[in-house]
Order: sequence, then structure tokens, then C-alpha cells
Amino acid sequence: MNLKFTFLLAWYYGLRTVARGPSYIIASLSSPLTLLFIVFIISRGSLVKYAVVGGFIGLVASVALSSAGDAAFMRLQLRMQDLYVASQVNPSDYMLGLTLSYLMFSLPGIVLYSAIGYLEHIFSLDSTLALAGILALLVVSTSSISFIVSSSIKHVRNVWGIAAIMSVVMTVLPPTFYPYFYIPKIALYVLSVSPVTPAAVLTQGVFGLAPVLFQEIPIMIAETVVYFSLARYLTRWREN
Amino acid sequence: MIVTEQLSKRYSGGNYALRELTITASRKVTSIIGRNGAGKTTLIRILSTQLLPSGGRATVEGFDVVSEAHEIRKRIVSIPQEAAPIGILTAFEQVKMYLVGRGYSFKEAGESANKALDQLELRESKNEPTDTLSGGMKRKMFVAMALAANADVVFLDEPTTGLDPLSRLEVWSAIRQIDSRVILTTHYMEEAEQLSDEVILIERGQSLEQGTPSELVSRFSGKVRVETAERCDGCIHVGNISIMYVDRTRADEYIDRGYTVRPATLEDIFISRGVEIES
Repeated sequence: MNLKFTFLLAWYYGLRTVARGPSYIIASLSSPLTLLFIVFIISRGSLVKYAVVGGFIGLVASVALSSAGDAAFMRLQLRMQDLYVASQVNPSDYMLGLTLSYLMFSLPGIVLYSAIGYLEHIFSLDSTLALAGILALLVVSTSSISFIVSSSIKHVRNVWGIAAIMSVVMTVLPPTFYPYFYIPKIALYVLSVSPVTPAAVLTQGVFGLAPVLFQEIPIMIAETVVYFSLARYLTRWREN
Repeated sequence: MIVTEQLSKRYSGGNYALRELTITASRKVTSIIGRNGAGKTTLIRILSTQLLPSGGRATVEGFDVVSEAHEIRKRIVSIPQEAAPIGILTAFEQVKMYLVGRGYSFKEAGESANKALDQLELRESKNEPTDTLSGGMKRKMFVAMALAANADVVFLDEPTTGLDPLSRLEVWSAIRQIDSRVILTTHYMEEAEQLSDEVILIERGQSLEQGTPSELVSRFSGKVRVETAERCDGCIHVGNISIMYVDRTRADEYIDRGYTVRPATLEDIFISRGVEIES
């Protein structure tokens, strides 16, 4: 592992990019904030805590999932991946670096949701620590899905649409912005294919908005390991 | 030294990009020339361990490209064809990041990046986002990576494609400052003549010619190239132009008839051998 490279890639490609291009901030905030607004209006404020908690999950997941376009662009248009394949950088360093970059893209949104959550009095030390852990697992699993998808794309034009669909389907359909017990259990298990589902269910439990479903913990961890391993082996690094 | 022995690459569609290519490149700067689709990029990608071959063998500085890729990667820099910088980042940041990826400490990488960028006259612009730089400056940023990395072998895949003449001269000047062995691909014959100690002409994945630029041009010793828009027997036809090679002593005769006459260059090896293999 070359953690120095991973850190520098995240620092430059994540933090510096956000600092120099504020449009990233607006783009990453637009979808979760719109949903927060809709939930607030429809539920007349009663489900707003779900939407705030879900906002963290939705924000991180949608940024990571829509980054499939970015990863494909780096590989196909900039040829950045080829540059690093022919060096000592290994695919895990590269993937983790980009993953952390996407987490940086989410930072302004996380700060904003934290402010709203603070006003709504939803935070405690335990819930904050648990949320940090859930978001860390979520960014790894959803970025891994992005890498798998971006790697199979031959023309960069195709990836933007796929990334947008993935982002909507995998973050809005799961119980991110509504209580998980509103849907039948069987649907919950089906939706658990998306790592957003266990993340959202656990977060609702951690913040005391719904009973904690402990079986979602191993599901979340297993999905992170499986998706990362799949990305590690399915992502085209050296091509055949 | 770069050695390939019956190196082949067949893509999934069944097309061969390389067909039992056998070459040895041992000089300081070797140019691989050939038309679009000749197999130049495939060769560079295999040698720089980005792509696996389908058959045959290749070694870079004695290491096998398949089984010892890790050793090769420590010793090479490979700048892909049409590589483009991340526009929002500066040249300094990108060179530094590349060097850290190669195992440099942050401090060493910063110092080496600064030194290489200054050496290539990017001192003024190295801290500007690269999307504000000219095409030539962007290419020089990649050459700076090669310069700073101090690798044994540098692969440059069409380093000046799409650049204006002035930018091309700037990139040539930058390439000349690389101390390592350089393998570059190009379809600009002037570039190959200017930069190379050795030229390898490949066409349809096979090696057709190899030698120093002067050795290759000497195949046309005593001859000049005559071009006309008229069709003529025994000429090479490229589009609407007919090309023939005649004794220099007859040059005036063709000039008087209104033909274009020019001295033979490396381009003529390219044209004549390319047409031979086509026919």
C-alpha cells in the first residue's frame, strides 16, 4: 500500500477540486436538499428527522455512485489510469484515493446536514460516532460499485446516464428519506442489495427514530468487503 | 534494452494489432514509426505493462513484461497517447502526485517536481490550473514527470500529436533533456529524424525496417522524390498524388516539366514500404 499517494490523490483531487470548483458543492447538495424539502412539505415536518439523517446517507452515496462517470472519464479521456498502471501505484491505492476524494466532495454537504441536525437536536456522541462509521463503510461500498461499472464502460458518453440512474435508484428507493418499517420486510431484504439500505436502516436505529435492526450490521460490513473485493478484481487495471 | 520476440497481440474481435513482432531497441532514443493502426500504441502499452500480449515474449531492461511487470514498473515512465492533465489541478500538483505514486516522499517529490518544471521553463505557469495552459505546456508537464522520475526507460506515445509547430519544437527540446533511454512513437517523420538514434518502421503489426535515420534515408541515395498530379506507370499513388523516385541527375528534367521535386527523407521509407505492404 502507498498511503502517501492515496492521501495526496484525495487531497488534490478531492479537497483542492472542491475548493477551486464550488459548483461541485451545489451539485452534490441539490438532490438531498430537494428531497429534504419535499419530505418536510409532504409530512408537514413530522418526518424531517428521517430526511436529515437520510440526507447524510443520500449525499455520500449519491456522490460516490455518480462518480462512476468521473472514474470512467479519468480512464478513457484523461488516460490517467494508464499513467499510473505503468508505475508502482496499485489498483487499491488508486481506488482508495479516488474514494476518499469523493468523500471530500461530500464534506460541504455533511457540514450543512450537521448544522440542520444540530438545530433538530438529533446528535449524541454515540450516534455521531456510529454515523461516521456507517458513512465510512458506505463510501467504500458505493465507490466500489462505481469502479465496477466505470470499468466495464467503453465509451465515456454512456457512463453519465448509467451513473445518474444508479444514483437515483440506489439512494432514493431504499428507506433513506422515510422510515424503513413503512415497507414490507421482504422488500427491505431485496433493497439490501444496495448498501444504502443497511446504512439507512442502521442510521435510523442509531438516531432512535426506529428500532435497531442488528442483522443489518453484518450485512453492511459484508457488502463493503464483497463490493470492494469485486472492484479490486473486476476493475480493469492491466488490460487483457 | 528492449527486446521483443515474436510478440503478438490479438484483440477480442479477432484483429491482430501485432503479428510475431521481433525487434531490439538498444540506442538512447528509438522512434517507432508507422501509420495509424500499425500497432505502435499496442506495442508501447505491452512494453509498459499496461496491456498483456497474446503471444511471444518481450523484455524491458532484461525483465519480462508478463512475469516481472512489477520490476519493470519501478524502472519506467510511460506517457499514454493523448494523456491529458486534470484541468483543475496545477502542473506542480500533478507532477508531485505522480512522483509520490512512484514512492518519493512528499518533500522529495515537491523538490523534484519543482526542479523538472523549472528546467522545462514552466516556472511561471506551474502553479496555475492546467486547463489554462497551452497544448504544448500540457505535454511538457508530462515530460516533466519523466524528467523528474529519473527512470531507466521513458515511453512516449505520440508526444506531439495535435500540437502547432512551435509547441512541437518546445516538446522536442524537453524530450532532449531526458537522460533516460526513450522509446517514442510518432507518425511525424521529421520528429523521428530530429530526435532518434534509431528508427523502427512497423506496419500491420510487423517490423519492416530498422536503422539509424541516415541509414534508412541512404536507401534513396542518389535519388530524389518527384510528385505529380498526373497518373503514371510505376508510380506510387497516394490519393491524387503520384510519387516516383528518380536519379538526382534527372531532377532538372522533371522540374522543367512542372513536377515537384524534393530530396528523399525518412518519409519516403514510410511511403514506399507502406505501399509495398498494402499491395
